[in-house]
Amino acid sequence: MGRFLGHRLLGVLPVMFGVSVIIFILMHLAPGDVATVLLGPQATEVAKTELRHALGLDQPLPLQYGKWLLRTVTGDFGTSIATQLNVAALVLPRFLNTLVLTVASLLLAIVIGYSVGLFAALRARSVFDRVTITVTLLAGSTPPFWLGLILVLLFAIRLRWLPVSGMVDMAGDGGALDVLRHLVLPAVTTALGPAAIITRMVRSSIREALDRPHVRVARAKGLKRGALLRRHVILNALPPIITITGLQLGYLLGGALLTEVVFAWPGLGALLYDSITARDMPVVQATTLLIALSFVLVNIAVDVINVLLDPRLREA
Amino acid sequence: MALRAGLLAASALAIAATLPVSARAAGTLIWGMPAETDILDPHATGGWSTYQVTYQIFEGLAKEDLTKADVASPPLVPGLATSWDISPDGTVYTFKLRPGVKFHDGTAFDAAAVKFNFERFWDESSPNFYKKAKAFVIAYTKWIKAVEIVDPMTVKVTLKAANYQWLRQGLQSYGQPLMVSPEAVKKYGNDGIALHPIGTGPFRFVQRDQGVKTVIERNPDYWGTPAKLDRIIIRPLQDPATRVNALENGEVQIISTPPWDEIQRLVDAGFKLSTSPNVPYINFIHLNFKNPAIADIRVRKAINMAIDREGIAKEIYRSTGRAEYGMLSPGTDAYDPKFASYKYDPDGAKKLLAEAGFANGLKLTFELAQYGTGEIVETWIQRDLKKVGIDVELKKYEWITYMGKWAGGMGPDVAMNTIGWGMSTPAWIDIVSRCDSAPPGGINSGWYCNKEVDKLLDAAILERDTAKMKDIYQKANRLIMDDAAFVPTIDDLQPIVLSPKVKGFVNPPEDWFDLSIVSLD
Repeated sequence: MGRFLGHRLLGVLPVMFGVSVIIFILMHLAPGDVATVLLGPQATEVAKTELRHALGLDQPLPLQYGKWLLRTVTGDFGTSIATQLNVAALVLPRFLNTLVLTVASLLLAIVIGYSVGLFAALRARSVFDRVTITVTLLAGSTPPFWLGLILVLLFAIRLRWLPVSGMVDMAGDGGALDVLRHLVLPAVTTALGPAAIITRMVRSSIREALDRPHVRVARAKGLKRGALLRRHVILNALPPIITITGLQLGYLLGGALLTEVVFAWPGLGALLYDSITARDMPVVQATTLLIALSFVLVNIAVDVINVLLDPRLREA
Repeated sequence: MALRAGLLAASALAIAATLPVSARAAGTLIWGMPAETDILDPHATGGWSTYQVTYQIFEGLAKEDLTKADVASPPLVPGLATSWDISPDGTVYTFKLRPGVKFHDGTAFDAAAVKFNFERFWDESSPNFYKKAKAFVIAYTKWIKAVEIVDPMTVKVTLKAANYQWLRQGLQSYGQPLMVSPEAVKKYGNDGIALHPIGTGPFRFVQRDQGVKTVIERNPDYWGTPAKLDRIIIRPLQDPATRVNALENGEVQIISTPPWDEIQRLVDAGFKLSTSPNVPYINFIHLNFKNPAIADIRVRKAINMAIDREGIAKEIYRSTGRAEYGMLSPGTDAYDPKFASYKYDPDGAKKLLAEAGFANGLKLTFELAQYGTGEIVETWIQRDLKKVGIDVELKKYEWITYMGKWAGGMGPDVAMNTIGWGMSTPAWIDIVSRCDSAPPGGINSGWYCNKEVDKLLDAAILERDTAKMKDIYQKANRLIMDDAAFVPTIDDLQPIVLSPKVKGFVNPPEDWFDLSIVSLD
């Protein structure tokens, strides 16, 4: 197991290196000059040239990248060009906010997906099952930003139960409960799509496992329903479910970025957008690396869980 | 909601108990803005959304009085200078400074502080010099020859040449020469002012959570009339629907740039709409004189005649916009509301195009920024031009890319590009239309050049008499439009939607506002 984990963790490095190189090149290929952004349209060419020099933007690309890499390896993400703030201080709190939204949405998606999926699988072809199939199809194909607006109109504007925007009440200091109130709508918005996909995956995996010969034999031998489900059905159905859940976390991170705009949730979404449009390279690099790292680590975690569930995979 | 109402009530009671009646606080105002404010260092920033914050924190020697809506342009009034005297030849400005003023950090405001600030954004030989500041405040500093302290409360600024628009240009340039605490610069460094914006204004900086909120509070030691509000929270809410929803749910009390289609519904629901008839900017199209088709004046005139501006104002802006036929912004002393140039006349446009040899049609490229709501207008223009036989390809760019292209000037393959811009000084027209404003160094993006116009503009800044100055600018405007050098399109009347609880808000002929006069019920 240790060797397996070590192997997978080592793989993180080339992935991160690749991501950083691609982002670096893409950002430099994009037209638009950071000096014009920073100094305004009336700045003289001399001032712009001086600024580019001060920021090291007139150096050859490999050298710029090398310098950035050296700094980053030592834990220094640099200073934001646009805001003059320390990049780590700027990005980390926003990343945590995105994580709060993502994890809340994932938990919601898991609770809905696992319970509804299991229930629908056990009552195949029932009304509940058919409704589940239809609703998940609709929910899975609903754009999150549209759903967000509809939920806001209903629960915030009409019913006045929940707030529209932000992570906390700006005028007051409501503490954790206030954050929870603000979390409900964005989390539901982000969770619904993944919840639908997880539900369908759980339903089909469980049904497939239920149809397997050894389950039929066990049932014929008179094994109790609970034990049958636990030991022979769910355990066998879990690997694809875990994998799709892990993949959904990646989707959730991406989806959260969209939802953040609709709900003005102070996460990475708006920061990433602002820093890309301002050509704020240090912030873009740090943000994309964090997102990529989360994605890779989640996938490793999924693999580890699957290996724990099914020892045969260790050799794979 | 109940929890917040309780908190607000409790804080209001606590404040009422501790403050004298005259300074009784009027609570916390939350403003939903479409964009995050930029760097809060007035010498090194640009952009209206940022000035909407920095105007509350910082002041200049002269300032624009933004407490009046029914004026052509904001009156220039004493700020940190109680008066100024301009020498007969127009080159020496002697400022008498306001006594007893302190920066928010307790630093005294005096001639040394003024000198320090000029050194920061102008004097390259000074240890206090900040390159970035000079790059921003260039429209103001390029005129300065010398800055001297006459006595502890008097400062003399000598210009290289006379320019009677100089003071106003300073309050309009991309960076503004407002007074920053010298002690704060020494303590936090030049770059540090962005995070520690310390001025003398009616509000002082409290907190900034990048992308979430900027908080300012009433300066209790303000030299002038104290602000009525206790605190203002400025929130970036990028999505227009989110801004509207937050307003309707009571999470913010003011929103800027509401979606046009929502304005009437909000008004019907009891919200207040505030517009400004004299905005200091216009939306316009630069026509590219390097483009072979556009070089023909008949084509330029045809484009001007083919666009139904009144239709755009009514159908798209929902009457919060006004058709514009000249290049002077309404929020300037030189604006003439009766100025007329090319009326909507598609048949006349077709005739002109035929005369120019384009009876069978013409293909043109139109560059624009892909942001905000502007693209609907350009699509409308594309449709109007199609009706007279001009096939327009819209090339959309993300804002920063576009800004580089626009400021760099159009290549011959591009026929036109567009922007919304202006200032409360008519001298703004120099930047987009003078021969020597061609890129690089200027933003005459369409390479227009008429020496007669330049002569008039030269004369205009030397004119001390407002009526005569107005006359010269109007002559220049007439020449520019006779050349059909641009296509002025629409003024956005700066719609702001407010909760009925907000009192005293004034939408002045400026892109930013005086929030010290605003209160909450």
